[in-house]
Amino acid sequence: MMASLRQSDRSNTQGAQVKKAFIHLEPSGLPDHPADRVSAFLTAFEAILEYGNYRFLLDLYARITSRCGRCASACQVYQATGNEKDVPCYRTTLLLDIYRRHFSPGGLLGSLSAKNGKLTAAAIDEMVELFYRCTTCRRCTLECPLGVDHGLITHLGRYILSEAGIAPKGLIVSVREQLEGKTANTSAIPLPALLDNLEFLQDELLEMKGAAVTFPVDRAGAEYIFFPAVSDYLMEADTLMGNAVVLHAAGISWTIGSQYYDGINYGLFYNDWVLERVISRLVGEAQRLKAAKILVGECGHASRSAKHYVPAFSQNNALPVVSVLELTWQLIQAKRIQLDPTAVPERVTYHDPCNMARSGWIVEQPRRILGSFVKDFVEMTPNGARNYCCGGGGGLVSLDETHEFRMRVSGKTKAEQIRRTGADIVATPCANCKKQLRELVEYYQLPVQVVGVHDLVLRAIQI
Amino acid sequence: MPAWVTLAKSPLSRFAMLLFALGLLRLVLLSVWEMHAALYRTHRREIPLTRLLIESLAWLFPMTRLYRARAGYSLASFTFHLGILIVTPFLGNHVDLFRDHFGLAWPALLKPVLDILTLLTLAAGAYLLLSRVYNRASRKLSNTPDYLLLALILCIFCSGFLSGQSWNPIPYDGLMLLHIISGMLLLAIIPFTKIAHCVLYPLVRLGTFVAWQFPPQAGKEVVQRLHGSEGRRI
Repeated sequence: MMASLRQSDRSNTQGAQVKKAFIHLEPSGLPDHPADRVSAFLTAFEAILEYGNYRFLLDLYARITSRCGRCASACQVYQATGNEKDVPCYRTTLLLDIYRRHFSPGGLLGSLSAKNGKLTAAAIDEMVELFYRCTTCRRCTLECPLGVDHGLITHLGRYILSEAGIAPKGLIVSVREQLEGKTANTSAIPLPALLDNLEFLQDELLEMKGAAVTFPVDRAGAEYIFFPAVSDYLMEADTLMGNAVVLHAAGISWTIGSQYYDGINYGLFYNDWVLERVISRLVGEAQRLKAAKILVGECGHASRSAKHYVPAFSQNNALPVVSVLELTWQLIQAKRIQLDPTAVPERVTYHDPCNMARSGWIVEQPRRILGSFVKDFVEMTPNGARNYCCGGGGGLVSLDETHEFRMRVSGKTKAEQIRRTGADIVATPCANCKKQLRELVEYYQLPVQVVGVHDLVLRAIQI
Repeated sequence: MPAWVTLAKSPLSRFAMLLFALGLLRLVLLSVWEMHAALYRTHRREIPLTRLLIESLAWLFPMTRLYRARAGYSLASFTFHLGILIVTPFLGNHVDLFRDHFGLAWPALLKPVLDILTLLTLAAGAYLLLSRVYNRASRKLSNTPDYLLLALILCIFCSGFLSGQSWNPIPYDGLMLLHIISGMLLLAIIPFTKIAHCVLYPLVRLGTFVAWQFPPQAGKEVVQRLHGSEGRRI
């Protein structure tokens, strides 16, 4: 399989298919003429340089990048394909060369050292493909001796492309519904359906745990307002019930907002305007209900985007952002919840979502939560901040057309990691990772169940 | 007086050194200023300086990182940098030259030590050059200046080393002229090449942190600039 994979990747057949699927025509119509596409890209790039904070970084990176290629050793996409174009630094150099040629003060002089500095329609096509073959896991950044963040360059590249009218349909459709649609969430769940669902979950919990656990909606003045990945309401009932039971058992005051209840923020993957608008919806709902803190559910990118950008976009007194994993671990330490150490006899491993672990933010907490009641816990290698991406990061898991790529290329290393643990259960606190890992488990026929951390907490909690 | 001595003591040589120093100083000041302006546009004021400093220092003393990935290349790169940083400033002749120009001096290292370090640097540099040529990914990434800069540094080290050996088969004066000219050329162009990382390195992780702090309203302003005050639909 590996041989055929390399062959197909080098011939870019699969890449071309993926590329076609990514082209998104704006309502106004993306210019068809190659020169117009180039012009649209350069105009968008110029505007982003003017208002964003990217110019100084591009200057800095353009002055120092040495193209040593060490980053290749960290990238699971390159490891799977052996394609030079999948080396993170190659992608970064593409954009830096264009910047140097078209926007740096050195201009033409600087571009003499640039291989591909002149922007062409073909260069745009190449960037579309390469920036969306990257899962933005930022593992390569750990291996760059100079400290170049290729994930940030991928983010910028996608941002420019999106403002030039090129972005994945799957993300656009979801974000459009979230910010401009009636339901105001990426899964298009209407409020009545959400309320029905919460009622159903309450009944389930009553039956399962014998306790009247509630999912409070629009409770003003609560300590926490809760934002999970909204898709959890459809697909991750056990995770949500686990969250609710913990909060109930510890006597925490919390609420779900009826006007906005989606933690997902695809802006982190491709567009700063979207990112900020989603953050402002989150903060707006928290302020409407006078919540003291924002609690983010089991979702990697939702956690990172809220943790990082609520303070970044708030003028004063930003609301504190807490991950549900941080809170549950605090409650265990404070002995406010009790977990049955015999409830999970299976062998469990933990997958670190990149958006939580890469910075070292959420690494120890889930391990300690699981360690407090799981008897047979085994680590993947490597793990923590140096973990491998599930292969569906950067929004790829939401794009069905990338399925084959995610299975055969970007998720291959993770599947092998899971196989080596011999675990019966993979726990991971991220809706995207869970979806990708379940597809991997099915594709590679691994005898493993993929669950959230709070799914296991739900099994073990004593109330 | 041989031409190379005249050249080494000439104002041109001093000019190359000044270009090197002032060019790099300009880059540092420019980068710090730009970064400050960028940070000012955000709401973030707390910077995890200690963490960023530790991460940067960890790569200056990369003992545990050398073998983690591309062990041969990493070891060669480390040796190459170490050789350049020790041999260049602590060679007796260089110390003398600097004293002649600027009146400042410091102790030099013993010649046998420097000779060994020079040979190691040459071997490491040759390995790096060959890696760029023969490693498929590296070759794809490399551009002309990557090869030329490495070749220029190897030329400087090679000519310098040979000129200090009694068995040197090449005419001494010609070799030294090559050494001085290539050395001056390198000093003069360093601020305009990727070797600027010698002074910008401590700023890269800090700059990356600052760049992740997106300024409020920047996304909206971009949309309005591109689509007018009405903005656009998603």
